[in-house]
Order: sequence, then C-alpha cells, then structure tokens
Amino acid sequence: MKLIVRIFALIGKEIVEVLRRPGAVFSLIIGPFLILAVFGLGYQGIKRDLSAIVVVDPSSELPTERQRYEAVNVRGLRVVDVVTDRPSAEERLRDGEVDMLIVAPHDLPGEMRAGRQSDLTVVTNVVDPVEANYTAFLAETISSAVNRELYRVGAEEGQTYVIQNGAGELANVPPEVIASPTKPSVENIAPIEPTIVGFFGPAALALVLQHMAVTLIALSIVRERAGGTMDRFRASPMRATEVVLGKVAAFGLLGGAIAFVSVWLLVGVLGVPLRGSPAEIALVVTLLLVASLGLGLLISVISDSERQAVQLALMTLLAAVFFSGFALRLEEFEPIVRAGAYFLPVPHGVALLQDLMLRGDATQPWQLLALAAIAGTLLFFSWILLRRELQPR
Amino acid sequence: MQGVTRQFGETVAVAGIDLEVRPGTVVGIVGPSGSGKTTAIRMITGSIAPTGGRGEVLGEPPAAFHRGTRRRIGYMPQKFSLYPDLTVLENVDFAASLYGLLFWRRWARRRAVLELVELWDVRGRRARDLSGGMQRRLELAAALVHEPDLVVLDEPTAGLDPILRETVWQEVHRLRDTGATVLVTTQYVTEAEQCDEVVLIVDGRVLASGTPDELRRAAFGGEVLDVTTKELFDAAHLGTAPGIRHIRQTGPRDFQLVVDDAGEASADAVQAVSGDGVEVVSVREHRASFEEVFTELVRRELDGENVTADEVAGDEVAAAERADRERAA
Repeated sequence: MKLIVRIFALIGKEIVEVLRRPGAVFSLIIGPFLILAVFGLGYQGIKRDLSAIVVVDPSSELPTERQRYEAVNVRGLRVVDVVTDRPSAEERLRDGEVDMLIVAPHDLPGEMRAGRQSDLTVVTNVVDPVEANYTAFLAETISSAVNRELYRVGAEEGQTYVIQNGAGELANVPPEVIASPTKPSVENIAPIEPTIVGFFGPAALALVLQHMAVTLIALSIVRERAGGTMDRFRASPMRATEVVLGKVAAFGLLGGAIAFVSVWLLVGVLGVPLRGSPAEIALVVTLLLVASLGLGLLISVISDSERQAVQLALMTLLAAVFFSGFALRLEEFEPIVRAGAYFLPVPHGVALLQDLMLRGDATQPWQLLALAAIAGTLLFFSWILLRRELQPR
Repeated sequence: MQGVTRQFGETVAVAGIDLEVRPGTVVGIVGPSGSGKTTAIRMITGSIAPTGGRGEVLGEPPAAFHRGTRRRIGYMPQKFSLYPDLTVLENVDFAASLYGLLFWRRWARRRAVLELVELWDVRGRRARDLSGGMQRRLELAAALVHEPDLVVLDEPTAGLDPILRETVWQEVHRLRDTGATVLVTTQYVTEAEQCDEVVLIVDGRVLASGTPDELRRAAFGGEVLDVTTKELFDAAHLGTAPGIRHIRQTGPRDFQLVVDDAGEASADAVQAVSGDGVEVVSVREHRASFEEVFTELVRRELDGENVTADEVAGDEVAAAERADRERAA
C-alpha cells in the first residue's frame, strides 16, 4: 500500500509540475503537433514539374514552336522554351532558370533511314544523386514519349511517306530502330559526380551546426538565470549588449572550430569535394552560426526553465529536419510553408554549403543576405528581451 | 531610503522602510527568514525597483544607477551564483572582469582577495568541489575583488559553522576599517552585535534600528542591572529610588533593575538595598543577548508597544557620556 502511495505521489508531483509550466505544455504537446500539422498540410508528396528548354538544331528542320513540344505529354515535365542556341541554353541551366535541357536529334529521319537510333540528350546540372537518378528516369520517359509521338505522326503520314519514298527503304531499317527511333542519354554539367556522402555531408554539417549553436546558447542563458548569475549581472555594470556579444562570440568561436574540424573530416576522410573558396565557406558558416545563436538566444530568453529550453531546441531540430531541404526538397512544399521555412537559418545554410562545396559557387547568393537578415533580426529581438530582463524589475 | 515599499502582486515584501547608512560603517539588516531582508538588499543594489517610496544609494536612485555607480558596489547574493565548473581563480577573474578590471589589475587583485579569504592555496580547485564554507568565501572574494566602496552581503554567514562565521565577520570589520561601507543581512540575530548599526526587520517592516546598545535600551527601556542579595529581598521597596525605571524580581534573592545608566546606578542600588539592612552579594550590568533583545522587541511589537525613535536612540546625552567613558577607558 505504501508503495502505491509513494508511486502516486510521484505521478501527481510530475504531472502538476508539468502543468504548472504553460510554456512546457506548449512545447511538449502543441509544438510538435504544430510542426507535424504544417508538415502534413504543406508537403505535397509529389515532385513538382521540372522545367525544360528544348534545343533544336537549326538544320534539323524540327519545329521551334513550344506548343508542338507540349503536345509530347511527359508527366513531370514542363517545356518552357524552344531554342536553337545550345550554349545560351546551358547558361540558363547553370543560372538555375530551368531544371534541364532536352537536346533534340539533329537529323532523326536521316539517322533512321541509316538504321541508327538518334540520341535524345537530357542535360542537367544536379549535385543531388536522387535528382540525378530522377533525371535519368525522366530522360527514358521523354524518349518513350517522343517515340510514341513519332509513331503517331508516322501512322498519320505513313501512306504519303511510302508513296514518296517507296516501302523498300524502310525494309532496311533494323526492327529496334523502328521500335525506338530515339534513345535517351543524360549529360550532367555539374562540376562533380553526385554522390550520397558528397551531397548530404554539407547538409548534415549545416544541420548539426544550427542545432549545436541553438542548444548551447539556450542552455547557457537559462543556466545563468537558474544559477543566480543573472542577478549578479543585474547588480554589476554588465549590459545586455555585452552579454549578447560575449555569448555569441564564445559559442561562435566554439562552433567555428567544430565546423573547421567537420569540414576537414568531410573533405579529408569522406572525400566530399571542396570546390569553393575557404573564405566563402567560412563566411557561410559564420552567418549560419550567428543566425542559429540568435535563434538559441531567443529561445533562452522566452524559456522559463532548462526543460523548456531543451524542448524548444529539440522542436527547432525537428522543424529543421523537415523544412531544411535536408531530407525533403523545399520545392515539394506548398509555397507558404516554403516561405516559412526560409525564416529558419538552416535551409540557407544547407543550400549555400552544398553549392559552395560541390559547385564552387553559390547559385542563390540572396541566401547570404537572408542569413544575415535572420541573424540581425533574431539578435535584435533577443537583445531587447534580455535588456528588459537585466533592468530592475 | 524613505518609505520604500515593494509589492509582488498582492504580497507586500517590504512595507515602507526607512534606512540611512553612514559611510564607513557596518550596517546589519537583521530579521528572520522571509522578513524582507533580501528584497531590501536587492532594491539597494538596483536589481529590483521599489513600488513605493524613494531611495538613493551613492547619490543615485538604484533603479537608475549609472555604470560608474555600479562599479562602486560589490554584491554577494544569498545563493551561490558562481560557476561550478570554473576554478576558484577563474571565478574571481570572471567577477573582476564584470567590473571591467584590466588584466594587470585583475592579476594583482585576484591574488590579494583570495589570500584574504584564505582560498589562494585552492585556487586551482573547481568551485563545485569546494565545501559550503569555502564557496561562501569565494562569493565574498568575488564581491570584493574590484575594491568597492559599498559592499552588500546577503546572508554571508548562512550555513557556515561558528568559526567560519567569525572569520567572515572579521573580514567585514576589516573592510569597514579600510573605509568601505558594508551592508549585510543575517538571520542570526546574535550577529547584530557585530554591526555598528542594526536594522531589525520583521514582516517587511522595520521594527527598530540603531546601534546594538541602543536597541538593548529600546528593548528593555534602559540599561539592566542584575542584583543578588544575601538574604531574601523584595525589590519593590526600591520603586521610588532615583534613576530606576523598572524593577523585575527574578528570584527570592535576585532582581533586575532597569536604569538610565548602569555605571551610575550601581552604587545607588547598593546603597538603597543596604539601607534596608540587606547585604548585596553582587551587582552586575546585564548585557542581554541579541536573542533576548529581538524577542523583547517582537513581543513589544505584538503587544502594541511601539518602539519609538526616542526609545531606540535612548537618552542621547547618556549615550554621548557613555561613549566618552568608553573612549577614556
């Protein structure tokens, strides 16, 4: 009986303790629920249509009207333009304006008459191995669709063709060429061969850096408060600005050292390419760390206990895993959710580190500014709240 | 501080206290746990703002202290609030840095202050590995490292054994002797003896304030003589004798006389008792412990006998004369 009394005493105490902290209840129940709800409502679960430019050889006599190619209905593909200048099209691909180029065969009838399959080349610029596989699959689909379209046109124009050219000419064409006049080939103009480790290494680094920075600084401030040192700060000439700068510098240096070692391990041991300049990578790491420290600082000033700070830091990690582009591409979310995700530092960190390490250049330089803006905003609000906390109450 | 009040919601932690601290003195805020001592201290350090009344510390309202003023204050919180994972030396160095001491000055001061509190030999030990007494001394070192003019110590002797408490008080007196003003709280009423001025605080209100001797006088209405006679004696016979304020029979041969001045009244008492044909065995000034003083003052407060300022101050002339005698001695 006494055993039950003691057990029930503990049960009651723990439940009451949790319920008496509204912030803890929020972060325990409402927080994860909200993240999952946003994920469930915002994730479409289907890949968005890839945009493509069709490149035709001027001498091929192929049509250049976009509508003609839209008729070749390929699921997951959207033809946005038809051009005859391949170099300028590749430039647009490098700039991220489109996802792929489809280079049409320059002499399909001639190749067919000669009994050869024509190459239908899909050019991409991806460092993500999953995307690379998808592109190869899509190239097959495109080729099949083109072949189907050729059959359809052939069926319509077949009688005329036989009358004009004679049936004997087609008799010399091998059956596999008749079955598949085009065959897919894929070219990737990205500077590296996509690999799992190469692609996910920089993303994991960004994720780890954000979580480490958020957790370290959040716990640090909460412990200062619980240990009574905030009271000491309040009685001393210490100002909120100095607390913020001191904490950010300390954990920034610590995070910087961890980032340095991590990059060294990624490159030296795991063989992740390092194409960007160390200075640019250091800039991204610095901005990512400062923005993450701002997030952690904000968590610490709104948390009323260490437990709540830990829960909020873990929720931030959960949100980062879902909405950073680490596991799921941000393009697959509803636009509003995607916009919300960009308020976290980590999506920018993931994209920038992947770009700089794998491509050698940032494809979306605005993300540097976004990181700086997030850092500035979070630090400003944290400073305001901390300043209020350090003032006589 | 004049009429300073602090409320937390409906709870009044400090109710209109007046407090004046003379530079270069040790002022003790004495009272039981939960009486409002720490709240008063935190208003003095500017950690919390009063909800009523006004006060000035070092010439400024604490809630609007300039940084320069904060640098002149050393604060030792009631709770251990240093960093358990830092060593003794690192903690003191950090505390000195909070007050902006440059490296060379910190270098000198941290050694000086750790030697003062006898922690220099354990300077490499982590704070978490120190005993409770050592942690309090480390807190004291952190409060003193920047050589403040005003030292505010919140229960520096709480949880210490009597020997360490004595050590802390020696240090407090040494600080006072170097010209610092020390404001200290304690729940041990007996420690009021260690202070130059005492403020007794109960339920957020100042019960009495003054020097320890003035409070004794206030508690008992004057100085107290313990008289023992050889035979049975009814002390009520002395009721009309000059200089006697109050008589209390404590036994068949023992009684107490409350007088204006114990030195002058001793001879008169012996003469008066002898006049009744009774031999006096001993006459001694009764130096009441502060527990007695505190109990008496609280009893008087509960009985509605307000301790007036005049009572606390006593007869200023008598006090001045007593001081003269002490100086002459």
